[in-house]
Amino acid sequence: MPEYNKIDTVFNKLKSENRKAFIPFISIGDPALETSFEIAKTLVENGADIIELGFPFSDPMADGKVIQRSYERALKNKISMEDAFAFIKRLKAFRDIPVVLFTYYNPVFILGEKFAKDAKEADVQGVLIVDLPPEESAEFTKYIRDKNIYQIYLLAPTTAPDRMRYVLSYAKGFVYYVSVTGVTGARKNLPETIKSRVEEIKRISSIPVGVGFGISSRDQARDIAKHSDAIIIGSKIIQFIEDDIEDKRRILKKIAEFSSDIRSALNDTASSGL
Amino acid sequence: MKLPDGNGHFGEYGGRYISETLMPAVIELEKFYKKIRNDREFIKDFKYYLKNYVGRPSPLYFAKRLSEVYDAGIFLKREDLNHTGAHKINNTIGQALLAVKMGKKRIIAETGAGQHGVATATVCALFGLDCEVFMGKKDIERQKQNVFRMELLGAKVNSVEAGSQTLKDAMNEAIRDWITNIHTTYYMIGTVAGPHPYPLMVRDFQSVIGKEVLKQLEKLPDILIACVGGGSNAIGLFYPFLKYNDVKMYAVEAGGYGIETGMHAASISGGKPGVLHGNKTYLLQDEFGRIKDAHSIAAGLDYPGVGPEHSYFADKKRIIIGSVTDEEAVKAFQKLCRLEGIIPALESSHAIAYLEKIKKEIKGKTVVINLSGRGDKDMHTISEYLSKS
Repeated sequence: MPEYNKIDTVFNKLKSENRKAFIPFISIGDPALETSFEIAKTLVENGADIIELGFPFSDPMADGKVIQRSYERALKNKISMEDAFAFIKRLKAFRDIPVVLFTYYNPVFILGEKFAKDAKEADVQGVLIVDLPPEESAEFTKYIRDKNIYQIYLLAPTTAPDRMRYVLSYAKGFVYYVSVTGVTGARKNLPETIKSRVEEIKRISSIPVGVGFGISSRDQARDIAKHSDAIIIGSKIIQFIEDDIEDKRRILKKIAEFSSDIRSALNDTASSGL
Repeated sequence: MKLPDGNGHFGEYGGRYISETLMPAVIELEKFYKKIRNDREFIKDFKYYLKNYVGRPSPLYFAKRLSEVYDAGIFLKREDLNHTGAHKINNTIGQALLAVKMGKKRIIAETGAGQHGVATATVCALFGLDCEVFMGKKDIERQKQNVFRMELLGAKVNSVEAGSQTLKDAMNEAIRDWITNIHTTYYMIGTVAGPHPYPLMVRDFQSVIGKEVLKQLEKLPDILIACVGGGSNAIGLFYPFLKYNDVKMYAVEAGGYGIETGMHAASISGGKPGVLHGNKTYLLQDEFGRIKDAHSIAAGLDYPGVGPEHSYFADKKRIIIGSVTDEEAVKAFQKLCRLEGIIPALESSHAIAYLEKIKKEIKGKTVVINLSGRGDKDMHTISEYLSKS
């Protein structure tokens, strides 16, 4: 049987149902390994279609304060890449959901081929490496090419059409459109340009487009999902962890509510075309 | 082979490891710089400011008493006599002229010891540009005087409280600001590191040091010595000599409490290749690829990475990498004060200290040391260190 990537399966299925994907992000090990596992389960049970798991890095240059602090808490728990893969295996045993591992390049680079082998064994579908643009990605993609793991690429508000075409020629699974010129973090107001930029991407490529950075509310999610194929939310979810850091039950309850709310907002977006 | 290559690689090192938001800006910068690099007007302006504002050429001083101690001919390249007290100004003049030509009005920079911050604040005052400097909280505490200097010059100094609160964290924060304000802001990197074209640009601007030495010495030296943190003063001295195979080059890393203690800033001697701040190079890191905190008494060397060109030439053994400890650097600092009446920066004291390590080899040889900065900023650190020991 030919191998297929479950990211594609998810997007194909959602498309046929006129629904959009919800992709939440959390850091593995924040605030503790077990709690983060329960948070992941909560997200999966409450509507996540794909889950993005952050492997904490010491110098998260593209991240705002909330994810920085999340990584700092996780780093104190000394999470290794082995822990991360064990986490993913456990999650997969719970529910067969596509996983995108999100990190910076150095922790991946030092493991080299071993990273790819272990990722395959843990059934990782995608790897998003913030600081690895297509120009530099060959030494990494040679390890994942035959393993049916996708590198997820980013497009930004600063990416001009020519460069968009270049990046999209590498993209597989979905492309991550960074909605704001800035670092990660929840924002009240998002730029008006998101819609036109996503449409620009869609004119060039048929690959699904996920929009992330700054999305924090049901209304924002619903609004953007009229144009995109997926909504990615990180900082807002991690904020729930920070708000009640000592109260695990409350964290899980709030994340469950938020997740279901976003999910329901993404179920009826396709009606925009009618 | 021409280095860096078209994609900014020095062999396997260098490159452009940055988020997509920054890629277009860095590619634009590279194109712009390539156009201007050999532009006669730009070169004329650069030379004008180096001469009339910085005070170049800096003297190549024959250190007579130091030479007697080591039975060698030791010359000091007096970058400490530059305006603002270090070699850093060579680079900021060049980059400020570039930023002005690009129409950027806001400049950001990271700084460790504060020398690059002061040099940036200085050129921003000179060219009427807004200036914000990111500096680790720990460095702000140990370099109060430079913080005050930057503020006098009109710069805003932002205290960085994340991570180790030193240079690497200041650089993270500067990159975050750059990502956010990419349309208006020029990022003035202070060393030969970061994404291409920074290592190339900073090398171009700093290699005035070595070019002057070539003229001033009227013959080829046997040995060059420079301290290396990020490596801009070292590459500045070494670069024009790389083609002369008989000239031996020593880059001296900060050994802190000793490489074996793990408390040091010797990225090549005590680290391994990795990716940080836009380039692939030797880094201090743990087994999981997280970046380790560096330690050095010299704030300007207190960085867990090094410029990619140094990594390349270290592997090729064209540049020999050594290290000295805090203690050895302080001894050399005192030695130069008393023998030559020159108070060197603690960073530069690492280069002086290396004489002791190669004293047999240098007998009868001509040695040029890059005295990259003056020690006025280090009075507090030195007095504290000496009162403890």
